[in-house]
Amino acid sequence: MDLSLIDWGDIWQATWETLAMTGFSLLFTVLIGLPLGILLFVTSKNQLLEQRGLYVVLSFVVNVLRSVPFLILLIVMIPVTVLLIGTSLGVEGAIPPLVVGTAPFFARLVENVLREIDRGVIEACQAMGIRTHRIIFGALLPEALPGLIAATTVTAITLMSYAAMSGVIGGGGLGDLAIRFGYQRFQTEVMVITVAVLVVLVQLLQYSGDRLVLYFTRK
Amino acid sequence: MIHIENLHKTYRVDGREITALQDIDLHIGKGEVFGIIGRSGAGKSTLIRTLNLLERPSAGRIVIDGEDITRFDREALFQLRQRTGMIFQHFNLLNAKTVAGNIDWPLKTTGRFGAAERAARVAEMLELVGLAEHGSKYPAQLSGGQKQRVGIARALANHPNLLLCDEATSALDPETTQAILRLLLDINRRLGLTIVLITHEMEVIRTICDRVAVIDAGRIVESGPVSEVFLHPKHAVTRSMVAQSDALTAALLDPAGLGAKVRGLPVRLTYLGDVTYQPILSHVAAISPARITILQGTVSTIKDQPYGQLLVEIDGTAEEVEAVFRAFDAFKIHHEVLQ
Repeated sequence: MDLSLIDWGDIWQATWETLAMTGFSLLFTVLIGLPLGILLFVTSKNQLLEQRGLYVVLSFVVNVLRSVPFLILLIVMIPVTVLLIGTSLGVEGAIPPLVVGTAPFFARLVENVLREIDRGVIEACQAMGIRTHRIIFGALLPEALPGLIAATTVTAITLMSYAAMSGVIGGGGLGDLAIRFGYQRFQTEVMVITVAVLVVLVQLLQYSGDRLVLYFTRK
Repeated sequence: MIHIENLHKTYRVDGREITALQDIDLHIGKGEVFGIIGRSGAGKSTLIRTLNLLERPSAGRIVIDGEDITRFDREALFQLRQRTGMIFQHFNLLNAKTVAGNIDWPLKTTGRFGAAERAARVAEMLELVGLAEHGSKYPAQLSGGQKQRVGIARALANHPNLLLCDEATSALDPETTQAILRLLLDINRRLGLTIVLITHEMEVIRTICDRVAVIDAGRIVESGPVSEVFLHPKHAVTRSMVAQSDALTAALLDPAGLGAKVRGLPVRLTYLGDVTYQPILSHVAAISPARITILQGTVSTIKDQPYGQLLVEIDGTAEEVEAVFRAFDAFKIHHEVLQ
């Protein structure tokens, strides 16, 4: 392996692109997935705002989106992405499919985290005459915070590997670099380095996520 | 204060109707400590939950302070629950909030009090339950008894006139149970708060309740003042909950067992009040030559009222025994020949 062949400027650039793709799509994933997950939870059976019809519809949509393989979603989303932001290429072009691919996944995680909260705590709040929206935002979400942070960490890591995959359709970042140089030009060194950088990034994400969970855990 | 009239509750489980409560009629007075006792699955938990409509009854009325709460709209229900405190077996505290935060939470959410007023109330409540030093701790750092104290402080913060206790001491050890019960009784007396509690432990009823209802299979099978129900249980379920002495009675009547050793008349004596501490047996012995042997006995208190219950064997002629019974009557000692 000859590391002198590697253009470190490219690697830097690609790393930043990957981080930007992960960061922005994580932001939108949480903005969409968190309310969706809360809605899934509160409308489910025996919960605060039980709405069977709404739950079934939401749950079905989430399942459908989660069952589409991400590579297919990347391609199917191209026209939608062009419509939304004018291009399906580069960092911006990768964000819409990433968000559509992971928001339903995150919503399910949120639903499960909320389900873990002791039913008795919700009942105690109801017995105190606290209004439903206060129970959700003032009690449920703070109680679920460590779980929500853990779910966000898992989602961020999933996003990072999906972001690398979006290199296939010209998405930019480390995945793009690996495909164009490492695969198409047979530069194994570039492939190895990009994977190494991804490994480091994932470790860092998981480590910081775990530290945050620990910090907010009161049990 | 509370009138429960003809209350029914049925559930649908897998298409089948399950009756949880039927024909419940109860009256609970203001300032009273009222206990509901039953085995698990008897319906006591469902019953107490209807008092703040965590469970909706299928039929019947629940009148609290003159208003039928089953007809309340959403807003009126929020108001009702805000003036009804509730504590739970597993405390149900918010783990993400401090002790003070937990007590403040019901105050904050009503939006009726300013920050200073709330802080003062929280401090007052911490003082009341003896946790003044622990305001900034999290529930996970507290013992079970301390957690229940936080539960009580939280339930009382909003100035309720009714406190519901759902198996509040069932997860605590006997010593802590006694401490929590003493606290509840103290609060009942100082604040004139009405307390309704459910439990499966006769001990809890005996320690703090004024009146008790026994529930079995969704029906009230017996109710009345605790001393009455405790000392003279009528229904089989009540008897088995009071148990202890009944186990001995059974042994006594078993001709192969203890029964073989008893030559005289087995009698159960029950007495209540000041007479408990008087030298009755020596007085009786002076009147009649009948020989009295104590087989088993309890002298204790129901709430603050002393009582005694003795199983004795009386050996003597018919006239001698009759004289003993007359002496018991004179002292208002209830006697029952076990046959």
